[in-house]
This record gives sequence, C-alpha cells and structure tokens, in this order.
Amino acid sequence: MLESLLAGFEAALRIDTFVWMTGGLLLGMLMGALPGFTTTMGMSVLMPIAFLVGDPLIGIPFLIGVYKGGIYGGSVPAILISMPGTAASVVTVFDGHELAKQGKARKALEMALFASVASDFCSDLLTLVMIIPVAAVVLGFGPPEIAAIMFLSLVIVSVTSTGPALKGLIMLGLGLWFGFVGADPFSAMARYTFGTSELYDGFHLIPMLIGLFALPEIFNAVRIGETRGGRVASLVGERLSGAELKRSVRTIVRSTGIGTVVGLVPGLGQTVAAMMGYIAAKNASKHPENFGKGELDGVAAAEAANNAVNGPTMVPLLTLGIPGDNVTALLLGAFMMQGLRPGPTLLESSGPIVFGILFAMLLANIIFLIAGYLTIPLFTRVVTIRKTLLIPITIMLAFAGTYLARSNPFDILTLISFGVVGIVAKKADFDVMPMVMGFILGRELEYTFGQTISLAGDSLLQYAFTERLGMTAIVIATPVLGTLLGRRMNRLRRQDLARRAL
Amino acid sequence: MGSRRVGLFLALLFAAAQASAQYPARPITLITPYAAGGSHDLNARVFTTFIQRHLGQAMIIKLVPGEAGQKGTLEAIRAPADGYTLIFTDNYRDQLYQHTFANEFYDTNADLISVARINYGQVGLVVRGDSPYRTWADLEADARARPGALKFSHSGLWAAFFVTASQIMQDRDLRFRLVPYRGGGPAKAALLAADVDVSAAFPATLGADIEVGAVRVLGTAGTERTLAGVPSFAELGISQSTGFMHRVVMAPTGVPDDRLARLRRAFAELQSDPAYLAAMAQLGENTEYMDGVEYEAERVAQSREYEALAHSLAGR
Repeated sequence: MLESLLAGFEAALRIDTFVWMTGGLLLGMLMGALPGFTTTMGMSVLMPIAFLVGDPLIGIPFLIGVYKGGIYGGSVPAILISMPGTAASVVTVFDGHELAKQGKARKALEMALFASVASDFCSDLLTLVMIIPVAAVVLGFGPPEIAAIMFLSLVIVSVTSTGPALKGLIMLGLGLWFGFVGADPFSAMARYTFGTSELYDGFHLIPMLIGLFALPEIFNAVRIGETRGGRVASLVGERLSGAELKRSVRTIVRSTGIGTVVGLVPGLGQTVAAMMGYIAAKNASKHPENFGKGELDGVAAAEAANNAVNGPTMVPLLTLGIPGDNVTALLLGAFMMQGLRPGPTLLESSGPIVFGILFAMLLANIIFLIAGYLTIPLFTRVVTIRKTLLIPITIMLAFAGTYLARSNPFDILTLISFGVVGIVAKKADFDVMPMVMGFILGRELEYTFGQTISLAGDSLLQYAFTERLGMTAIVIATPVLGTLLGRRMNRLRRQDLARRAL
Repeated sequence: MGSRRVGLFLALLFAAAQASAQYPARPITLITPYAAGGSHDLNARVFTTFIQRHLGQAMIIKLVPGEAGQKGTLEAIRAPADGYTLIFTDNYRDQLYQHTFANEFYDTNADLISVARINYGQVGLVVRGDSPYRTWADLEADARARPGALKFSHSGLWAAFFVTASQIMQDRDLRFRLVPYRGGGPAKAALLAADVDVSAAFPATLGADIEVGAVRVLGTAGTERTLAGVPSFAELGISQSTGFMHRVVMAPTGVPDDRLARLRRAFAELQSDPAYLAAMAQLGENTEYMDGVEYEAERVAQSREYEALAHSLAGR
C-alpha cells in the first residue's frame, strides 16, 4: 500500500495533469458562478473531453477540478448579487450579500475562497488517509439513520432561526408543505398539483432559491428608485486581514469536520453541510445576533462546510463503487471510461493511479487558491457597476439561469411566485431560511422515513431497537439537543433585546 | 453597391438551399428525459461524441428531466418533425409509463418512431455473498414460505429494477417487500449493507463485487446465459422480456422518410466505428444495436405486455 501511495504521489506531479486541472477549475468556477448552471451539468457537458483525452491522470483530475471550482464558484453570485449560483451556496447568501452591501465584497469573497480551499484541502487529506478504514463505516448509514439526521436537522433549524420562534415555525411549516407538492415518492399519487402536469414533479429548487433571494433584492433596488449613481456598494472594500482570518479559524475547522462527516454519508450533500456548519457557527459565536447581518464568520462556516463534502464523497465511490449523488455518478462513468472500475478491487488493481488521482485532488487546492485569488478583483468589480446597468443584468441572469437549469417554462412561474413570497416575507420580517431548509430537509425526511417504514415491515419499534440502534440514538438525542440549543438561543435573544433597550 | 448586396443575398440563398438539400444542415438536438449523471446520460455522451463523423453534424444533448420522463417525451413529440429533434429514451418510458400515469397528452406508439436501439441493459438478480440463498430456488422457496417478508431494493418507482421485480413477482406468483432507493447505486449499497435480502443490478456494474465474492448473481435476463454458471431468467421460469432495458433513439412521427433513413444509416455506420465500440466497452455497456425498423416490431409486443402489467399492479 505504501508503495502505491508513493507511486501515486509521483504520478500526480505531472505538468499536463496540472494544466488540465487548472483548466477544469477555471471552467468549474465560471459554470458555478452562472446561476442555474449546476456543477453536475458542467461536468456532464465536459465529460466527453475527459474520455477523449484517454489518460486517467488527466481526464479525472480535470473533472474533479470542475467539481471543486463549481462548488466555490456558486458563492460568487451569492455574495455579489444575492443569487446562489448552485444550491450548495444558498447559505452563503445570508451573510455574504450583506457584507457586499456594506462595501466589503472583497473581504467576503476572500473569506469564501480561503475557507473553501482550507476545508477542501483538509478533507482531501483526511480522505487520502482514511479511505480504507472509513469505507466500512459508510455502509452503516442507511435510510433510517439519514431519516434520523434529517429529523434532528429540522429540529435544530427550527430552534435556531433568527427572530421570534413562532415566525420561524410558520416558515418551516410552509417549507415542508411546499416540499409535499408533487407526486408522492411511494405511490406516485399527485398531491396539491391542482390537476396540472407541471406541478407533478414538485417545485424545482433552483428557481425557488433565485426567487427567494435575488428577486427581493432586485425589487428593493428598483423600489427605492435610487438615482443614476446608485451602486450595490461604492467600493469593493479592503482585503481580508490576517486577524479576521484568524478569528474564523475555529469556525473553518468545525465546518470542515461537519462537511467531512456529511460527505461520507451518501445522499446528504453540500447544502445540508453548509446549513449545519452555519448553525453550528452561529451557536458557538459570542454574537449570534450578527449572523445574517453581514458576519464574516457566517461566510466562512458555510463555504468551509460545503467544500469539505467534496473529498469524502469519493470514498464510497472508490471503495464500494457506489455513487452517492449525480456528481459521483458522473465520476463513476469517467473512471470506467478510463478502464478503471471503482469497487472493492480498485485499490489493489490500480492503486498508484487511484492515489495519483487523490494526490492530484489535494494539489488542485493550491491551484484553486491561486486561480481564485487572481479572479476575485475581477469579480468584485460587479458591485461597483451602476445599478441602472446591474439590475437588468441581474434580472436577465435570474430568468436565464432558471430556464437553463431544466429548460422548463413553468420554472419561470415558480421563480416569480417565490420572488413574491420572498418580498412579502422580507416586508413582514420573516426569515426565509427555515422555509428553504424545511423544503430541502422535509422531502428527504419523507423519502427516507418511508424507506425506513418499508424496511421495518410489521414493527417499526422492534426494528428500531434491534437492528437500528444508530437511528434510535439520534432520535432520542434530538429533543435533548433541541431543548438545550433552544434555551441558549432564547437567552441570547433576550440579552440582545435588553442591550437594544438600553 | 446595390447589385453586390443582391449578389450576396442570392449567394446566401443558394447556400441555404444547398444546405437544406443536404440533411442535416445544422446540429441535431437529442432530448434525454433523464437527469445528468445517469446511465442514459453517460451512454448519450459517448454516442453523440462519435456520431458526428457519420452524420456530418453535431448531435447536442438537451437534458429535460422531470415528471418521470413525461416532460422530455412531450417536448420531443411537440417538436417539429424535421429530423432536428430526437429523443433518447427506454422501453419503460416509451411503453410502460403511459399506462401508469394519468396521461392525456400523447400516445408514444403513434407519436414517436424508432431510429435505432443503441444497446440494452440486462438485469441480474443479486444477493450478498454471505447470503443463505445459494440459488434462485432457495430464494423462491423462502419467499413462498414467508410472503412479503423478503426485502428487495430497487431503483425507484416504475424504473428498471422496480419493473423487473414486479414482473418476477407476477410470473412466479411471489411477493417481495419492495423498498425504493434513488437509483441503482443506493439500491446496491442497501444490499451490501444487509439492509435488504435481494436486489437487481446490471451485471456490468458488479464486476469487482462478483470477483471478491461480495455479491452472488442468481440469474440474468433473457434466454441465454451471460455470466458463467449463472442461469438465465428463462431457465428460472421468468418470462423472456423481463429485465431488458432497451436504450432507444426515436424521432417524432412524420419526419420525412429520407431524413429518417439518413439518421438510421448514421447509427448503422456507427456500429463499425472502433473508437465508439471501445468507449462503450470501457463504460461496460454492450453495443447490441438494433435497426429502427426491427425495433418497431418489438415495440408493439412490449406495449401489450406492459399494459397488462400496469393494470395488474394498479389493481393490487
């Protein structure tokens, strides 16, 4: 094994591998930055290039570059124009765009980049070291455990939402309900579709996110009717200082841990990781009331968590041949086209190449840092564009991005409807985050819970206590954790109110 | 100046006329009613890369997932029948879905015509390597003794493995507890984790798992054996069409005959392109091509069978 490790390291130090990986990273960033153009779509389009090259140490690092770049790239429009480029960057909007409005776009983007690169690097390193021992653990997470994690996440989201608890619960409930629209996943019966075929699939996440986050910003800007000179911010702001970065180190480490674990569980994904990382950071912070109002730590938490997912998703793929999501399914195809068969024999039969790919992944982070750093000054210019120019561009991006995702005209209606929901919510001072999370987590909870019932057969209780102790432990811990977190949040909320009253 | 413009216009007109005489004059759109990353997406990426040489034009994939494939199918049917919009589908989406969902919008048999069957996937029945079921007979005996107790992980409602399991249950008068997963990968993970007793898989995705003894294949679709020592479904008393997923390129009905012929010829030529064959082999897919004319005959038989299956499942 050590020999393959060393051989792999040598194999990764190739100039052509680097050049291709850099190309992949830049393309990925560009695609991630285009709203509606998901990382999966980008990889799928670029896939033929990877197999035409015909060398696994070029083709696969190229695609991995696209993957990494895409997940980071999504944070650029999230910060600059409040439009999450990919679903993974939705949590970045909360604080990222606030910072941009305060004239700190550059700080926010640099924080996003550093957090992404640092966590990506650490999680890749962990992947490389742990790939063999961890593979066995992965199979321990079945639908029952995922359902329990989803349940726990929902409880945490509801007790840690900003503002009055009741408002948070209402939004969460709305999100859950929106998630129910469409065919139910077990009998394909239509729910709340009002007889239309368009709603049969339910609401699509991308138009929903763009509608909720970007349209209210656009509406605000237009309504205020600023004079011609209006800009998002008058300046791109200063660079991120060393002290600021240092302050977020703990958050980055925490989010990296969260993201790594989430990445190992097949099917949880970047959005859930970002949300968990964000909530954990908010909870650990001395000033949770600053979250959502332009807290650099919030950007670091979300971006570190979503990028940390990338490396570990490779573990079930490489060792068991099991793709957890569409991105890894594409990578599986890419591996096979290069004559490599992910699965239990891959490390033995092609150890050096696999370790070579993993090392290339690790080294990609260095290029990632440089490429990202060099492009930030370019991107940040966006905030200084006159609003009379920027708003039409933003509107175009919102609509084009929505259409691009699935070429479905109905999604435009979804976009506008959720835009209205977002505007009303903002006006009534409702936080939309619980709604988005209710939508994402609720669907997942319903599906995995249905699977669990199906697996359990006659007695769910018996199944839970004999075969699914992991799930049972999480479910029992949930109310305890929820109460503790809720109390803490309430206390801080009261302190904040008292401070404001003074 | 004026006459030069007229000349240019005429030249352009001539070029356009010339081009339209030579179909295809512009890239062809291939609708795939699936999400990115699935087996159809991968297969399409491969053949669209190589078809260009045989067609003289690029073929561009347009992913239109949604409504269990109905969205993409409808879009292809509503597209002009000029040979510039095709669809890459499978026999379940083409023939089964219309009997299972409330569908008032189209009838695929009348609205789409086959260009080529690219290949097919043959489903295998799999258990874990340490499973007590050495053969299908063991599994069947236990399933008969305890109806509905054995858990079968499949790739989603009305998808390939679900239909296969349903057909087996119907043919052999058995009852499994069908547990849905989001695709073949998670369904396989459930089997390996011992969450379920039996699953289905395309043997191409199992290569290494069979080698190390992680899984055992109890039977594969069809009348002939495809894996050494593993009986075919026919030997097990499971009907011949069970577990066959045909991947097919189709065009909207009404496409001019010469254009349909041109398309069919290009796909026929593709079968002797070594680069294409090698890429498909790497992907682990077969290249059991079938001419569109031949496949049309097969469709009619499928349609009847699936209608009966859908009605019996819905009545359950």
